[in-house]
Amino acid sequence: MASSEKSSSALATDGDPRPPGQPMTVEQHVLDKGAQILQSLKPVKKMSQHACTFASYSHDMTRQIETHHYITRLNQDFLQCAVYDTDHVHGRLIGIEYIISDRIFEDLPPDEQKLWHSHAYEIKSGLWVNPRVPGIIEKPELENLVKTYGKFWCTWQVDRGDKLPLGAPSLMMSPQPVNLGQVSPELLHARDRKYNISTEALRASRVEFPEPEWINPQADYWKQHGKGFAIDIKLTDMILRAPFP
Amino acid sequence: MSSTHPEVPGEPTKTGTAFLETATATIQSFAPINQIHQHLCAFHFYSYDMTRQVEAHHYCAHQNEEMRQCLIYDSPDADARLIGLEYVISEPLFLTLPDDEKRLWHSHEYEVKSGLLFMPGVPGSIERQDMEKLAKTYGKVFHFWQVDRRDNLPLGIPQVMMAFTRDGQIYEDLVKGVENRYGISVAKERENRAYISGPTHGIHPLANGGAKGLKTELREDMTPLTHLHHQYFKLLSTVESGSHRSSGGIGRSSEIRQIRMLDVSSTMSSSRGRRKFRSSGGIGH
Repeated sequence: MASSEKSSSALATDGDPRPPGQPMTVEQHVLDKGAQILQSLKPVKKMSQHACTFASYSHDMTRQIETHHYITRLNQDFLQCAVYDTDHVHGRLIGIEYIISDRIFEDLPPDEQKLWHSHAYEIKSGLWVNPRVPGIIEKPELENLVKTYGKFWCTWQVDRGDKLPLGAPSLMMSPQPVNLGQVSPELLHARDRKYNISTEALRASRVEFPEPEWINPQADYWKQHGKGFAIDIKLTDMILRAPFP
Repeated sequence: MSSTHPEVPGEPTKTGTAFLETATATIQSFAPINQIHQHLCAFHFYSYDMTRQVEAHHYCAHQNEEMRQCLIYDSPDADARLIGLEYVISEPLFLTLPDDEKRLWHSHEYEVKSGLLFMPGVPGSIERQDMEKLAKTYGKVFHFWQVDRRDNLPLGIPQVMMAFTRDGQIYEDLVKGVENRYGISVAKERENRAYISGPTHGIHPLANGGAKGLKTELREDMTPLTHLHHQYFKLLSTVESGSHRSSGGIGRSSEIRQIRMLDVSSTMSSSRGRRKFRSSGGIGH
């Protein structure tokens, strides 16, 4: 069982992006509404930004996806993102990304650093956008993010038609200006049409954002090494404190 | 370095940043997040090591009656760390999964019936309506941040997590912790839930790791060269047929084509000969 395995044909898509299952009953809606009133949901309320960008699978960089990040900032150097495949009501939760400042990144051991990707190109090229937010407002945040690194695990490979989240998580990589790091024009145009924006124009407006002085070569591992990473899941003996299951 | 967050390294959030985020939070649409309607408190352990146990706060949204997707935090507080996620599916959906996949999912029957799984703040009689459904479901959990070993950053690779399946597995002090904090009695709720039944077909023998532990491993993997060839020709034909669509006109599309050609040739020259694509087999031993 590996993140780089092909999808099972038993759950192949029929074109419908929604997962299988009966529609929600009235009873469930009422339950949910009740819970929402009684419960505080604090961590979720702390999400403060929506960003739309692109990523590719580290073990197969030809597979690129549009992603929607819902972001919480924990402090000036750290953000955590719930990642969805669309910004619609039925958006599927496809993974989690963590974002850290270059300062924090430099303190990580090299073996950890190789799991992370840089954001400078993604932001300066206009690929990363905050839908509906005027440039002047998003500017200070983007200038901050330009110097960050991200670690993104994808748990639901919707682009290969999985109706349910199958297999192991995949490590994802960010767009880069070379080779397979370039986002396909079709994907980009589709995104721009949807939000009525121009990535080209955004790139021009971001030209003066400060570049990081250097990008750690352990990040974006495939650029220097021509290799990505996959996760395998192996059976093993469980360390127990009581019988299982 | 100072930090407003007690456990995550970093400077306190600057005023300007905080202001921006108030603005974005107001202007933007958060549709998938607005679907999150439910907070569930439960416990997970690492699927290869039952001695490492974690309290897990789930924030769940329904995709439909049979499927939920949940964000998992280490606490219910505003500064909680996002440590993982869980997918929950009905028994009928679970039975459609390939056998290898079934191992990655765990049953919820014991968690529900024991009273260990609960909805903070919701009276038992309301909560039980959902517990009746949850008892028949299966879940798949990955954690990305090993807070129990005091990592102050999400280091390492994803961990498959499991749920408890019988008495004697969970540490008593974990249970006492939630009982004190939430003013509840797990034992009392267990009595109230005695009537609840689990999956109609019984707990599937392949669920819960098929009674084995599951360990994740990182592997370096080469992108197949054959894909590069395919991609090159696909892109060329896209650019040539789509050049009238690109906003910059002819000049821009030829620039794109030039970049693509340079990209692929430099990749091919940096590779050291053809390499067969490694397909991954089933679960290894």
